[in-house]
Amino acid sequence: MGKRQGGSGDVASTYHRPVTILGIDVGGTFTDAVLVGDDGTVVTAKLPTRTPQAEVIVAAARAVAGDRPLGRFTLGTTLATNTLLERRGARTAFVATEGFEHLLHVRRQTRAHLYRLCSPHPEPVVALERCYGVRERMGPDGVLVPLDLDHLPPLDGVEAVAVTLLFSFRDPSHEQALARELRRRHPHLHVVASHEIAPEFREYERASTTAVDAYLGPPVARALAGLEAACRRHHLAAPLVFRSSGGVVTLAEAAAHPATILLSGPAAGAMGAARIARACGYPMALAIDMGGTSTDVSLIRDGLPERAPERTVGGLPVRLPTIDVHTIGAGGGSIVWRDRGGALRIGPESAGAAPGPACYGNGGTRPTLTDANLLLGRLPAELPGGIHLDPAAAERAMAGLEPAEVVAVAEAEMLRALRVVSVERGQDPRACALVAFGGAGPLHACALAEALGIQTVLVPETAGVLSALGLAASDERRDSVRSVVRPLAQAGPLPAAGEADLRYRGQSFELTVPIQPGLAEAFHRLHEQRYGYADRDREIELVAVRWADTTPGPYVALRASALRQVRGPAVVELDGSTAWVGPGWSGTSDAHGTLVLERR
Amino acid sequence: MNLELQLLGAQLRAIAEEMGAVLVRSSFSANIKERRDCSTAIFDDRGRMVTQAEHIPVHLGAMPEAVAAARELAPAPGEVVILNDPYAGGTHLPDVTLVARLDLGFAVARAHWADVGSPEPGSMPARSRRLDDEGIVIPPTRLDDGLARTLTARMRNPGERLGDLRAQLAALHLAHRRLGELCAHHGRHRVRAAMDELLSYSERVVRGAIAALPDGTWSARDVIEAPEGLLALEAAVTVHGDEVTIDFAGSAPQHDGNLNCPLAVTRSACYFVVRCLTEPDLPACGGAFAPVCVVAPPGSLLNATSPAAVAAGNVETSSRVVDVVFAALGQALPVPAQGQGTMNNVAFGNERFSYYETIAGGQGACPDADGPSGVHVAMSNTLSTPAEALELAYPIRVERHALRLGSGGRGEHRGGDGVVRELRVLEDCRCSLIADRQVRSPAGRAGGLPGAPGRIMLNGRQVPAKATLDLRANDLLRIETPGGGGFGEPPTAPPTGSG
Repeated sequence: MGKRQGGSGDVASTYHRPVTILGIDVGGTFTDAVLVGDDGTVVTAKLPTRTPQAEVIVAAARAVAGDRPLGRFTLGTTLATNTLLERRGARTAFVATEGFEHLLHVRRQTRAHLYRLCSPHPEPVVALERCYGVRERMGPDGVLVPLDLDHLPPLDGVEAVAVTLLFSFRDPSHEQALARELRRRHPHLHVVASHEIAPEFREYERASTTAVDAYLGPPVARALAGLEAACRRHHLAAPLVFRSSGGVVTLAEAAAHPATILLSGPAAGAMGAARIARACGYPMALAIDMGGTSTDVSLIRDGLPERAPERTVGGLPVRLPTIDVHTIGAGGGSIVWRDRGGALRIGPESAGAAPGPACYGNGGTRPTLTDANLLLGRLPAELPGGIHLDPAAAERAMAGLEPAEVVAVAEAEMLRALRVVSVERGQDPRACALVAFGGAGPLHACALAEALGIQTVLVPETAGVLSALGLAASDERRDSVRSVVRPLAQAGPLPAAGEADLRYRGQSFELTVPIQPGLAEAFHRLHEQRYGYADRDREIELVAVRWADTTPGPYVALRASALRQVRGPAVVELDGSTAWVGPGWSGTSDAHGTLVLERR
Repeated sequence: MNLELQLLGAQLRAIAEEMGAVLVRSSFSANIKERRDCSTAIFDDRGRMVTQAEHIPVHLGAMPEAVAAARELAPAPGEVVILNDPYAGGTHLPDVTLVARLDLGFAVARAHWADVGSPEPGSMPARSRRLDDEGIVIPPTRLDDGLARTLTARMRNPGERLGDLRAQLAALHLAHRRLGELCAHHGRHRVRAAMDELLSYSERVVRGAIAALPDGTWSARDVIEAPEGLLALEAAVTVHGDEVTIDFAGSAPQHDGNLNCPLAVTRSACYFVVRCLTEPDLPACGGAFAPVCVVAPPGSLLNATSPAAVAAGNVETSSRVVDVVFAALGQALPVPAQGQGTMNNVAFGNERFSYYETIAGGQGACPDADGPSGVHVAMSNTLSTPAEALELAYPIRVERHALRLGSGGRGEHRGGDGVVRELRVLEDCRCSLIADRQVRSPAGRAGGLPGAPGRIMLNGRQVPAKATLDLRANDLLRIETPGGGGFGEPPTAPPTGSG
């Protein structure tokens, strides 16, 4: 069994020969399933999502796999995300160093909107009356006040507890002792200590991550236990669960720390796109996944999606390694409108799944991007899934709006997002291919590529269900982080592979650099690339080290269902998606079924 | 609106935002990197502000003067002008502004440096009386390597100050490159047309919103707490058609301390209120301020003349300008109750270190919502420094950082609570305090009760809020920040769970 940093492909794998693999991605509206047979053939299904998710997961598995034996079953799910956004988590208490009990409510002292003065922040997951302090204090160099275990909060009526003590990223002994004592006194409580989930400095972000994880623990564990039981009843092996960091773990590991699966779905899409780009021979790529209400973009560097050490979910910071997906609130169903100054705008309001765009004929009357695309002749008369499109309804909704202008505004938003993950991170988009997927991504790919100077667009045959494909074949991955905050020169040995968060001593923001020989010089170069200057005389500080134990997933070679040859302008219907091949673009599909479009 | 110009305008805005990101992420001063006390902008050839990436509102209206001052030197494309003189394009001395002449228009990067060579740490002296008590005054000057070195050599930590300067220059270079790409791709004349369109678009939107306000003139009065007594601020606000005039005649004369505002700072505060009450989501652009006229008598607190000291004007008096303009307009429109009305500036330092922070408080309640607790109100919106980051870098220990429960005024909607922050210094050092609303509470509105005033204690004894102190190792400073006022009559029974 081989272990290595990230990625998968032609290295040793636990899977000695091709096996049948199943990936299921439970999204907000649809649940996608992809089965890849041991011969590379692909079967897909799309079902409306419903709760409990266990039912739709079993149904989706049956739809594509029937009774075939599975070599592997992996799952991406919105379970944790929905539980957080809908605030259906456990009744949770927060225990902090005395004097810092309000940490979750004091935040970083900024207001939510510069000019809307009473605009509220998202409510913390722990109410103020369940925030407690304990007497203890750890400083940067060790214990200042010993831990007092004789005066602990009562913790009546709560199901979970989040513990965040100052400087536990440096010395976790107080947090360990406190968590041990709480678990001893309250064996049924779900206790999470901050050093167990996010041992990094900056107490608010660490506390927020810990609180979210504790809050999600009990309900997500129950739901995953329900799923395991349902799988057993249907003679399915329990699935592996896809984490935000881009790999799968066991159901039990996901249930222990549900904050690690908050971005399961979008991360899986980026993994799928990376797989497609690699298979086509493009190590550098931009990925765009456009759905009904939002669009996710990401950068693929050296065959792997970029990772970020932190992101916000529903306005709460979650400091955990995550595939760096940038999301904007514009998708096919986004409403188009004119503002008071007469400018054409799109989203964030969306027609959603119901009523859907006006052309779906389900009572939608306001214009959407999909209506504009239909009027431009870029959509077929019937969408996969049997939705008949009504041009007359689209025309009525679009009264007074020019479809080409609507598309131009939407594409400007997507372009902005693509520039954020490329140009603004020092990556020239012209060196990338563009992987387009999701229901609507391939409709806009050619235009976006032209604007960015990209020569090649890749549209996978499975564009409508690529997230499910991405997780089906993903590696097993367990992430670790160690906080250092010391000069790099004095940091001691680093792991052989992984990432280092570095900054010039005195700065507050770190750049993440892959661990390599000549790490300091690599940092100077990246700083120059990102910010336009480097200062080789300045001391470099190592803030944190991250690494991951990975076990490569199965080797997958997709087999195309049909060979396509297109010359734009043309509409290409795909599984759950439609591609618009613009004038001047043409291409053919390769052996894996990916349509490789080039500018003539 | 012409679509091509709209899309080009969006790209211009993106350039200003990217400049801001580069500046924040690569700088060294806590004020810039942790607190985002900085702004970046693009101006057209005529010196009009096309787009600004703002992180805090106090820079909102104070940049055009900087470009006007730089233009007088007629810089060639590629040349950079540096300044911080509040009477020639600046605001207060720590805000160092760089203006670059581009092939088309100007790029500006302004940032609050941790030190500009004042005798007191942090260059935010509590009791300065003349501008040169506050640090090195830089009149608009062409910047070159030699000047950069001689200027920073006169400040604490010159290496870090050079680092801040390089971060600002990096932002300007980025603007130069991106704007060049835009012109190469679309043509200079189209980019210029897009600049014009952004200006007229924002002016159109704001004029439309002002026209929807009732016409009339309303006056209000408030005070700022100078060490020697209360200083009056008077505002008469006139809405006439689609224009607003704000006249501060009757306000106190120039202050013999440092509570003075250059007119640019007074303007920023007025623009802030107009923006809150008209189009809060509109991207910042000079066109939005065209219909707003701000007048203050020269030589007064709100239009100070050289060489009056200004360190506290930018941070404290500007907050009171916001309060008094809201109060005047509150006679005609629904406006929020008063928030904490201060930034609670605290600076520590000795020969070895210099540290500055501002502390959040309660926001006043709005007509339709409670005021948020523990946030910056009005002209600031800077992040707090994490205790763990602070203690790793400075000889300071944070002993408490909590909400000051019950300090928000009651009302139909409650004012936000202030905060309590306890800082223990671990070395002998100097400490500068500049805070307000210690005597007069933030007022409630429409029957809402006032918030609790602020209070600062040293080792348990109250100290003046505008003072420079000699601290001994182990001294404990406790800052209790004001709560916001409530809005509307409070419920008759005291609310339960008011914390």
